[in-house]
Amino acid sequence: MFDNKVEQVKHLPLKIDEVARYVIVPGDPNRVEIIASVFDEYKLQGSNREFNAARGTYKGTDVSVVSTGIGCPSTAIAVEELAYIGAEVFIRIGTSGSVDNSVKKGDIFIATGAVRDDGTSKQYIPIEFPAIADFELVTNLIKAAKDLNIKSKVGICQSKDSFFGEVEPERMPVAPYLDNKWKAWQKGGVGASEMEAATLFTVAQIRKLKAGAVLAVEVSDEETVKKMTKIVLECINIMERDRRNE
Amino acid sequence: MSKKEKGGLLKSEIQYHIQMKKGDVADFVILPGDPGRVEFIADHFDTAKVVADNREYKTMTGKYKGRSISVTSTGIGCPSTAIAVEELANIGAKTFVRMGTSGAMQDFTRVGDKVIATGAVRFEGTSVQYMPIEFPAVASHEMVTALVRSASDAKLNYHTGIVQSKDSFYGQHSPEDMPIAQELLQKWDAWVKGGVLCSEMEAATLFVVGSYRKLRTGAVLLVAGDQAKGESLTKEDYQQNMTESINMILEASLDIEEESSNG
Repeated sequence: MFDNKVEQVKHLPLKIDEVARYVIVPGDPNRVEIIASVFDEYKLQGSNREFNAARGTYKGTDVSVVSTGIGCPSTAIAVEELAYIGAEVFIRIGTSGSVDNSVKKGDIFIATGAVRDDGTSKQYIPIEFPAIADFELVTNLIKAAKDLNIKSKVGICQSKDSFFGEVEPERMPVAPYLDNKWKAWQKGGVGASEMEAATLFTVAQIRKLKAGAVLAVEVSDEETVKKMTKIVLECINIMERDRRNE
Repeated sequence: MSKKEKGGLLKSEIQYHIQMKKGDVADFVILPGDPGRVEFIADHFDTAKVVADNREYKTMTGKYKGRSISVTSTGIGCPSTAIAVEELANIGAKTFVRMGTSGAMQDFTRVGDKVIATGAVRFEGTSVQYMPIEFPAVASHEMVTALVRSASDAKLNYHTGIVQSKDSFYGQHSPEDMPIAQELLQKWDAWVKGGVLCSEMEAATLFVVGSYRKLRTGAVLLVAGDQAKGESLTKEDYQQNMTESINMILEASLDIEEESSNG
């Protein structure tokens, strides 16, 4: 895919080796610095299109944060290019809506898998293939939240392409289709709805990378973003410790 | 179906196909495909007795280290598996672990290895009659964690990851003989590139029905053959490996708190 060992990738403001093994991937470029401010130290690396990058350390471990923009198409580009320049573990931090009644406003939701209601992942692998988060990552995210005394819920999220198709389905020409599917997700045990996890999980699985996602339900304030960042950094700390002990 | 009869089959006291009622099964059920394997599995319990035997569904219930446990065969394939899971859930079963065999799909999945499924490719027709195809067939994290713990304690060669569930056994073994050969071969290649570990026939529906019915699910698949390398387990190795799979599930069951199956 990247034939001529290019130094500078096409979309991200980064070159080979300018990313840590662990990279946090929020959607919003404005959240990059909020997330990085929770690190022990960080440096902004620049910005191109919706891709904003920072790198720093947490408890001695090298960590990056790079925004993906909204949606699976730009997320796939970010993941492919980040992997090419050296990232191996991807953790999405994002906001979401609630789907079934087990998930409430303010919950922190750790995704084990994602409904592939997106178009991008289908251009990688047939639809029967499940979008699944890395098992070790899910385990350590749950453990990190517990260690920090932050309550979390674990389950399946839905990844859609059309934001307004979720929040205002009735005004879409395909309203009955959206409505039928939404009812199935509610009945079938989908907790949260967001826009990037399905492609993140699918592309990571295919490229033999690790991916996971932590989502805040119906809240997007700075404090919540920092709370999710703490969970993710603690998870990275646990994983790095385990890796060194192996 | 009239309004009065709606859900009638699901609500009757004796379940239509498995021929059991509340109290006949434990909250934790092991699901092999083969009814002929039920007794062999129950031989590893501390106590067990046959409680039902109808069609491909044979059930034995007993105790393992003080924990209540059952084993029910599902027959081959997702259609009969969905029936077993639905009816077992109706009479109080809450945790389901499939125990089966599979074919290797990666170089590193060797004959004799145990695969703990985290999810399954939905290349089957049953789960789509429950949930749209975009929904992922995912095992319960808690069950996978318990199985990883027991496999690791027993020092077994195991893998965690995605498995493929298909409906046509011979479509996998002789794809070139099928009218839709191209689709079968191209999809197989995509699953291999996607890192799918092994191929079997029941997990996807177990996981999807489990999500919908809020059940705990998992699957342990023994790699019994490798088409690409032309390898398969010998009869003696097969018994030994089956015993390892059974013990792995029995030990993992101890991590799952026993719930009343009568409630």
